[in-house]
Amino acid sequence: MSMAIDSDKAVSKNPMQRILKAFIDIRELTLLFMIAVIIIVMANLNPYFLSVSNFRALSVGMAPTAIIVIGMAILLASGGFDLSVGSVMALSSTVVAMMMLAGYSIPISVACSLVLGAAVGFSNGMLITGLGINPLIATLGTMSIARGIALVLTEGFSLSSLPKEFGWIGKASLGGFPVLVLLTLSLILIFDLAVRHTRFFRQVYFIGANEKAAMLSGIHVGRVRIIAYVLTGVLAALAGVLLASRLMSGTPTAGNGIELQVLAAAVIGGASLRGGEGTILGAFLGVVFVALINNSMTMLAVSIYWQMIVIGAVLVSAVALDMLIRGRRG
Amino acid sequence: MKHESLGSAEREERHRALFTLSGVKKAFGSNLVLDGIDFELQPGEIHALVGENGAGKSTCLGLLYGLHQPTGGKLERNGDVVRIESPSHAQELGIGCVFQELSLAGGLSVAENIFAGRAPSRFGVVDWPELRRRAEALLAEFDLSINVSQPVDSLPISTRQIVEIVKAISMDSQVLLLDEPTSALTPDEVEALFKVLRKLTAKGIGIVYVSHHMTEIFTIADRISVLRDGKKISTTQTSQTSQAQVVSEMIGGAHPGDVERSDDQLGDVVLKVEHLSNDDHFHDVSFDVSAGEILGVAGLLGSRRSEIMRSLVGLMHGFSGAVYLHGESTGFRSLRDAMQAGIGYVPEERKTEGLFLEDTLYNNLAAASLDKHTRFGLVRRRSVISACESAIKAFRVKTTGPEEIIGALSGGNQQKIMLAKWLERAPALLIIEEPTKGVDVGAKFQIHTELQRRAADGMAIIVVSSDFPELVSLSTRILVVHEGRVMGNIAARDATEDSLLQMAAGLSAPARPSNEIPQEGMAP
Repeated sequence: MSMAIDSDKAVSKNPMQRILKAFIDIRELTLLFMIAVIIIVMANLNPYFLSVSNFRALSVGMAPTAIIVIGMAILLASGGFDLSVGSVMALSSTVVAMMMLAGYSIPISVACSLVLGAAVGFSNGMLITGLGINPLIATLGTMSIARGIALVLTEGFSLSSLPKEFGWIGKASLGGFPVLVLLTLSLILIFDLAVRHTRFFRQVYFIGANEKAAMLSGIHVGRVRIIAYVLTGVLAALAGVLLASRLMSGTPTAGNGIELQVLAAAVIGGASLRGGEGTILGAFLGVVFVALINNSMTMLAVSIYWQMIVIGAVLVSAVALDMLIRGRRG
Repeated sequence: MKHESLGSAEREERHRALFTLSGVKKAFGSNLVLDGIDFELQPGEIHALVGENGAGKSTCLGLLYGLHQPTGGKLERNGDVVRIESPSHAQELGIGCVFQELSLAGGLSVAENIFAGRAPSRFGVVDWPELRRRAEALLAEFDLSINVSQPVDSLPISTRQIVEIVKAISMDSQVLLLDEPTSALTPDEVEALFKVLRKLTAKGIGIVYVSHHMTEIFTIADRISVLRDGKKISTTQTSQTSQAQVVSEMIGGAHPGDVERSDDQLGDVVLKVEHLSNDDHFHDVSFDVSAGEILGVAGLLGSRRSEIMRSLVGLMHGFSGAVYLHGESTGFRSLRDAMQAGIGYVPEERKTEGLFLEDTLYNNLAAASLDKHTRFGLVRRRSVISACESAIKAFRVKTTGPEEIIGALSGGNQQKIMLAKWLERAPALLIIEEPTKGVDVGAKFQIHTELQRRAADGMAIIVVSSDFPELVSLSTRILVVHEGRVMGNIAARDATEDSLLQMAAGLSAPARPSNEIPQEGMAP
């Protein structure tokens, strides 16, 4: 008995078709192409678009979202998600500010707010894996609680006059590139490689694709899930600290609604709420794509309200298109 | 037969055993599923575990793989008493398992699935070339040359089952638990599997083999243990027993035998299909089925028999040809349309397509016929429950009652409820795929009896099955399909398992289509 499954029908097709297929199959390529299209079109419509200052503003502006999307993409791949990221970001930005104002050193303050982020992530993980609460409900709860704590601590006011040195990361440049952006890009690169190639993160995909199968394969499902939530909490807290450094203030209202933007960007980048899919690079390109669309519309003086409509339409059509293409392929 | 009189030789053997269960009990709540099981596995032995669904086989495997912990008795591994906490603990103890329900992650590659969570790695970074090499080497034992980088999703079911088996073998276990490993395999693949199993036993690995296929068990097993109602009935050397003996021990004496076929007069033609074609799947399919008739549809994997059925009930679109229901031309846009026209469709995949596993029996039963139990827009719970109670009685479903969660029932009992759910609607035409897949002899008998009773009451029934003996004993006529074409339409009394297999494999010439000789097969 010998069987050869026609594993790859594409082999028989001509090279052009193969390239086209890879293009549609690999979300990263599709997104890169669309990003290039936006840049070329915008460069012709508005000369200021290609300027260094616009790109700097754009990249610095999307850094927190890009950092948070790492955690969200990992959670989505594992079949979970986290609505509390925006609140954790606000909480960590206020806590880091309060501690510095209270006289603690910068490293201690930063470390404490990151630990706080980890603690919120751990609670999310325990609620979801330990008690079996649906991730939507569990993180909706912690989202409200974390935001509430930030507001209680500050009575709703922003905290400014932070130590000058704290602003370094948010403002400094290295070889012409903002440190904030370099840091974000390195995190994306590290996590993208880790998720593709390390044994630990590969487990995440098994859990997302088939949780029971993962358990029967001897994977510690609960442990991996909790670690993913802790990681997401830490990354959200880091985004909060970086935001505080850039704005030189702790803001309890920071990151309001960012959880849905991050989710949308990750899904545009190829993640799925069903789990088992998506990459960090894809999710990051999703963030870039959404940021570019927003930036372009601002440049073209489109009202902010219209921008919301456009982003919503992009999200739905990206997913719908994907389903149509896959459905046809059977 | 082996009895537990512990002589010194016995004690010696016991010491050598890979594992031993002594007086093991397991209760889920008040439900005692295992009642004092003694069972042992010797190195190099294939020990078959048989019994009707609900007899406790799956629970036994679950205990050994750390899915459940026993509530009484003890479990020894290599002579040490152990408590197996989790599947990963079982793996550490050298116990691997292949599940009846596939446990693969569809989107991930074949190679990654085989080494799920155990991929070869350096400093936590997966060594992809090594991973692929090892996966290929393992698959080569099955003469299977597939691209191990492709996602499991893209493989046919039988290949996935082989991947599943390879996954368990890859763990280098000393004990291998196999739960219905051949349910989706072709005879050639089963042969290849047996070859691999014999190689493994030659290395001293012990295998627990759970299956409903008596022929397979008598081919491969060294010893056979029979479970019934949570108790062990016997453990025998295969050479010292017979299939009839084992079956009668499984069901407790009485052998159900073959179901009587009723050759009553058929009623009017209910469904007539003419020249149905779909470019991708099937070509020029014509047949009809009358009230009171059971039409068997025989086909192997890839015969497109399901595609044909799905097209009839509005689940697949894009075909040409004509479909007449009660003489009127129809074409359903959705399953709902088909249901309203009086067609019931029971899909093959019980767990994913047919049942709400986490819901109660009565809710599952009523899912397709809520309108029948609704008054003024409100579902009358009592009417649903009484319908459920009568279904439980009619099918002899083994359950604590209508309130039980259906996922807790054994496969055969779930299948009965799924069938009952559609019979509730009293459809004029019932299409049912693989009615007794993975179901034990007792449940099979009850399902067959119920289908024949309904046919006698005037229901038209189409049974799609790859269990050819089943079709021969159940149907009035049999339609054989091969690669989307009708190969024959013959009276079941003229059919044998062999002749069906020949036709289904495309080896004999297509017979005349049935609509040229309407009902001729039924004339005396």
